[in-house]
Amino acid sequence: MGHLGERLSALVDGELGPVEHERALIHLAGCETCRFEADMLRRLKRRLTTLGEPEPDHDFLGRLSGLAGGGTSGRPPGPPPGGAGFGMSPPLGSSRPLGGHPPTGPFAAEAVADASPAAPVAPPPADRPVRRRADRFTSLLPAFPGGRYAVAGVAVATALLGSAFVAGGGDDDTPVVEPRIADFALEHALTVRQLPFGEEPPAETVTGAAPSETEQTR
Amino acid sequence: MRPEEPSSPPPPLAAVLLAALALCVLLTAPPGHPDSSGVPAEGGDDGMGHLLGAAAAEDEVPYTAVGTVSFPGARQERALHVVSRPGEGVAIAPLGSREPAFVMRESPEALDGRLLRVLADTYAVVYAGPGELEGRPVHRVDALRADGTRAGRFLVDAGTGLLVGRAVYDGSGRPFSVSRLSGVRVGAADWPEHAAGGEPWGDTLSPDEREELREGGWYLPEHLAWNLRLVDARSTRLDGARVVHAVYSDGLSQVSVFLQRGKLESEHPSALGDESTGTGAGGDGITTEHDTIFGGGTGQYRNVWESGGFVYTVLADAPTGLVSSAVTALPEPGAFGFWARVQRGLSRWGIG
Repeated sequence: MGHLGERLSALVDGELGPVEHERALIHLAGCETCRFEADMLRRLKRRLTTLGEPEPDHDFLGRLSGLAGGGTSGRPPGPPPGGAGFGMSPPLGSSRPLGGHPPTGPFAAEAVADASPAAPVAPPPADRPVRRRADRFTSLLPAFPGGRYAVAGVAVATALLGSAFVAGGGDDDTPVVEPRIADFALEHALTVRQLPFGEEPPAETVTGAAPSETEQTR
Repeated sequence: MRPEEPSSPPPPLAAVLLAALALCVLLTAPPGHPDSSGVPAEGGDDGMGHLLGAAAAEDEVPYTAVGTVSFPGARQERALHVVSRPGEGVAIAPLGSREPAFVMRESPEALDGRLLRVLADTYAVVYAGPGELEGRPVHRVDALRADGTRAGRFLVDAGTGLLVGRAVYDGSGRPFSVSRLSGVRVGAADWPEHAAGGEPWGDTLSPDEREELREGGWYLPEHLAWNLRLVDARSTRLDGARVVHAVYSDGLSQVSVFLQRGKLESEHPSALGDESTGTGAGGDGITTEHDTIFGGGTGQYRNVWESGGFVYTVLADAPTGLVSSAVTALPEPGAFGFWARVQRGLSRWGIG
């Protein structure tokens, strides 16, 4: 008989049938190489089993539980139906071996210890109120029927004003100008056909009295 | 027991949005025009024929005359030597002065026709009967407001058809400006040499160009007030930057609004001299009513301010009420706050 090969991994995982299991053990008793490899596999599996898990956030866990429970059903927080909550599953590598045969032989005690589930994470404190975020927001709404529409209108108006404010920007690069009044006055005079501004009347023509119309009605 | 009142249905979302938008527009809209209650005068405009004839005679009859222009409110009058040559323009020079004449060459886009149309739309142009000016028979044409008060008077020479007299009255009935031609001699006269002057800026803005400018944030409305219509808009480049000249008129007086992008120095522009009041950054030194800043004491108005990234220069020879209406309708000085910026953004979107 050659080395165990892939059956070595199945042996460590307890996936071999009774006959194959016995044969593998017999082989291990006489094969130093396979025994060493089996020992390494077992150590590796134990290391994976005993890896520490991150401590779950209680508040986050509570909110998740509240979401799963609907918040209004009155059901206490707990794992969602159909599966355990976050952090409440067995640790990695501790799943029940395929085939479900109880380990026997030299690795039985270790295998049983490795297969024990990790300690369950404590649920959030019962006195801690767990509320949905939407519920908190709803409680802020005014207590009249059109409240949601009013809030929507205010939000749209705020967005409109904000966008208009942004669109109305861009004056930082505004150049400094000095109006050329003389040129403007000339342009104005040419347009309205009058003497340009700044052309003061000669002193001798200033009469100091308002002229009166001289036409006479026939 | 009082019966429970049924709850009112929630307002539709569209109504709330429209109300919010209307609120925004109301909050950002410029202040209303003080003369918004004014209305155009109804009338048959039976005096328009004489004025159209005078405009045609100006293009056909060469003449020489002595013109006088007075501003009774300013108690000043100036006399001018006037030479008119159809096809070449009108040369005017202060009487008794050696200063070179000022020539206003005729422009293909002469305002006469447009001004007369605006005049007829704004006032009732009525024939007021025959008259006499310095012994010459004239036709009198009045421009009447809706309440029957006189806003302007024209004197048309019965013989030559030339416009020989013109007066503009303010809201209280007092004459604001009076001009007339005396000693009219029909015929070609010597054209003054060394004449200064020229033509208005040649880049006339088409309606599409004006609309494009509006989309770019330029404040260039078709009406500044119910009686001030945009009759001409031109553009040129000074110091490498664009300047727009918008002319608003009621048919009797004209208000020139010069717009250019930029802001003023913190000090008053030196070009204004001592006879006018300019504004510093933020609109300092100008009243919100805009009706107290006149320059020169000649009845001519000039004002400069900045608002929202533009510098506005207003030049006008018009009654105070009309100029005040025009300036008030323009963006307020120093509009640099939140709402001004929001309004500018809305205007760039074509709203408000």
